Amino acid sequence: MQSSPEPLTILIAEDSAADRLLLSTIVRRQGHQVLTAANGAEAVEVYSQQRPHLVLMDAMMPVMDGFEAAQKIKQLAGDQLVPIIFLTSLTESEGLARCLEAGGDDFLAKPYNQVILAAKIKAMDRLRRLQATVVEQRDQIARHHDYLLNEQRVAKAVFDKIAHSGCLSAPNIRYLQSPYALFNGDLLLAAFNPAGDMHILLGDFTGHGLPAAVGAMPLAEVFYGMTAKGYGLAQILREMNAKLKRILPVDMFCCATLLSMSFQRCTVEVWNGGMPDGYLHDSLSGVRTPLPARHLPLGVLTPQLFDDRTEVHPLSVGDRVFLLSDGVIETSDRDDQPFGVERLQQVFSANREPDRLFEDIQQALRDFRGEARDDFSMVEVRLVAPTQLNPPPPVYSDSGQSSPLDWSVSFEFRAQTLKRFNPMPYLLQLLLEVHGLRAQSGALYNVLSELYSNALEHGVLGLDSSLKRDATGFARYYQERNARLDELGDGHVRVHLHVTPQGDGGRLVIEVEDSGKGFDVAKVLARPLDRDRLSGRGVSLVRQLCHQASWSDDGRNARVEFFWEALS
Amino acid sequence: MSVVTEVSPDGQKLTISIKGRFDFGRHQEFRESYEKLNMKPESIVVDLKEATYLDSSALGMLLLLRDHAGGDESDIRVVNSSSDVKKILAISNFDKLFDIS
Amino acid sequence: MSEIHLDLDVLSTLKEVMEDGYPELLDTFLKDSEARLRVLHEARDAEMLSATAHSFKGSSSNMGAIRLAELCGELEQRAKQPSLRGIESLVNEIDSEFAHVRTLCREEREGFHC
Repeated sequence: MQSSPEPLTILIAEDSAADRLLLSTIVRRQGHQVLTAANGAEAVEVYSQQRPHLVLMDAMMPVMDGFEAAQKIKQLAGDQLVPIIFLTSLTESEGLARCLEAGGDDFLAKPYNQVILAAKIKAMDRLRRLQATVVEQRDQIARHHDYLLNEQRVAKAVFDKIAHSGCLSAPNIRYLQSPYALFNGDLLLAAFNPAGDMHILLGDFTGHGLPAAVGAMPLAEVFYGMTAKGYGLAQILREMNAKLKRILPVDMFCCATLLSMSFQRCTVEVWNGGMPDGYLHDSLSGVRTPLPARHLPLGVLTPQLFDDRTEVHPLSVGDRVFLLSDGVIETSDRDDQPFGVERLQQVFSANREPDRLFEDIQQALRDFRGEARDDFSMVEVRLVAPTQLNPPPPVYSDSGQSSPLDWSVSFEFRAQTLKRFNPMPYLLQLLLEVHGLRAQSGALYNVLSELYSNALEHGVLGLDSSLKRDATGFARYYQERNARLDELGDGHVRVHLHVTPQGDGGRLVIEVEDSGKGFDVAKVLARPLDRDRLSGRGVSLVRQLCHQASWSDDGRNARVEFFWEALS
Repeated sequence: MSVVTEVSPDGQKLTISIKGRFDFGRHQEFRESYEKLNMKPESIVVDLKEATYLDSSALGMLLLLRDHAGGDESDIRVVNSSSDVKKILAISNFDKLFDIS
Repeated sequence: MSEIHLDLDVLSTLKEVMEDGYPELLDTFLKDSEARLRVLHEARDAEMLSATAHSFKGSSSNMGAIRLAELCGELEQRAKQPSLRGIESLVNEIDSEFAHVRTLCREEREGFHC
């Protein structure tokens, strides 16, 4: 025999005094507390004041009958279940049906049977307690959900600070991120490097919400930190991959496309790991060249196996690079058909005004009646003249008391080092210790990079710059560059830096020499400063950016000077 | 059961077949299919003949399998991929990690 | 039609349930029933007749007054007919049956020991 359940408070609504007396006694004897009412109105009143667990309701009562009273009591109870057992000697099924319609949960016939009554009370109470549990769990779930939403809100706020500390608001960038969940797995970062080049990353982490956010933050830190220091894409990629491989679980990774757009050199360098095709739009011909994924996503391969090779494409002013996340392709219609690459190509062909590409795509997606199952992001970057951009000046954290003003240093980078190491960020950091040079950090970086890459590519590797005549030539040039670098056995590039005081300011002399065959200096210098030519641009760039630029030793030694006045 | 496993008589080859959608809902079943074995098989075949759909969580599961099977030393073939599935695997360049057919 | 005026088994159960409250129950039943009878005699409206008969039927059955309950049940049905012909005689029958029941109840009351 089960232990007796806890006593309930039971309301007995019955107009016949004798029946009411009898039933109250029976119920009290079963261990419960009894409330009584002699008509429907009284029953509703007593219920709203005392909130009994269960109601025994006579169907036919004066003032307000049992049916109406039952409906009112059910309304008052709201979410909670208050079982109502109708007391009736109604035998016709019509009468019984009315009881059910009114919200009755069971019947008890007259004459009252104690055993049956006890059984019904027990059964109804079980239901009542079940309902109460369900409601409580529902409320618990709702509370937890709110809690989770709040956590995501905080994560998003922290992340937005990181994501928007870059230059996404530059005039040559257009972007769209439409959030599906509070935090999506898409990442869009943009930043200037010291040369005034723009690095852009469009990424897509596996998963949504907090798991994706957790990986995005360290990635963003690496991207911004290394870009600001002047590292190239290859080094940044290697570092991001290593970091993600280290910190993320095995089944998490980040698909990403990285761009480095140089407004001085009119090129864009591209690396795509696992993202849908990007597109390079030639503004003159209207042709869109796809930039497909040639690499695994970030965070999959060990550092030893990671492939950091990029593709370089020449651009003209007005050309655009367009990137999109797979949310666009995967947007599906009511039949679960995805939008697909073909439809996107159709939008491209139909597009008449390049400035309206985003609108055209959004309209096409809307027409397709997609209910976004994924988030989607799009970004378009245009090549513009460098003067149109305003990269913010770098921020330095030291006070200026310990600026080195009179020193020299020489480096020699030999074959094994030339293969895997780019010394530019280190040399730049060193030079920026000299406060007087900081105002010219852009020019400094550009010139140093240019001289170094000329020394490496044309000098040590012996590449012919005239290959870079057109787009195909470009591709072949860089392929050739990678191949020769892989096979490099000997050779060197030397860099000499001399800083000396001059008047109230100072002078920097940079010399870069290489072990190559040299070139006909007079011939190259005789060419006009033709900015539109793809090849030979390095020399003219250098001549434009600094004071004395001279070449000696048959072109194997380049020498440039920078000056600065006294700082106020 | 949407994940079916079969071990060759000599215990050297494990075949995992996926039916229906290969997505996040299959995570538990998929892991159990190789984790519960006593022996480590020499080679593994993932049969996608009846797989209708593949998403990034499926790619993650393949990476977990590869990690379990010895990482760079593993021998995993993904066979009978439909053209849609092949496309997804191609974009993510997973043919660099797995033998895909 | 049953011949039982007061079912002894029912009474014995009531006694067991009510304990000291048994006399009060009997008194309440008698008082209620007398009021209902008055209504049955004076009622002109068929719905009122039917409802009162229904109510009387219920409390009678709870007390074990089987024949009385059955008669009330018959009245309840008859009052729903379009013609109220012959209703008067049924009410009188209920009257006399109740008189019988009342006597038995009073005997019960006297015979009840605390």
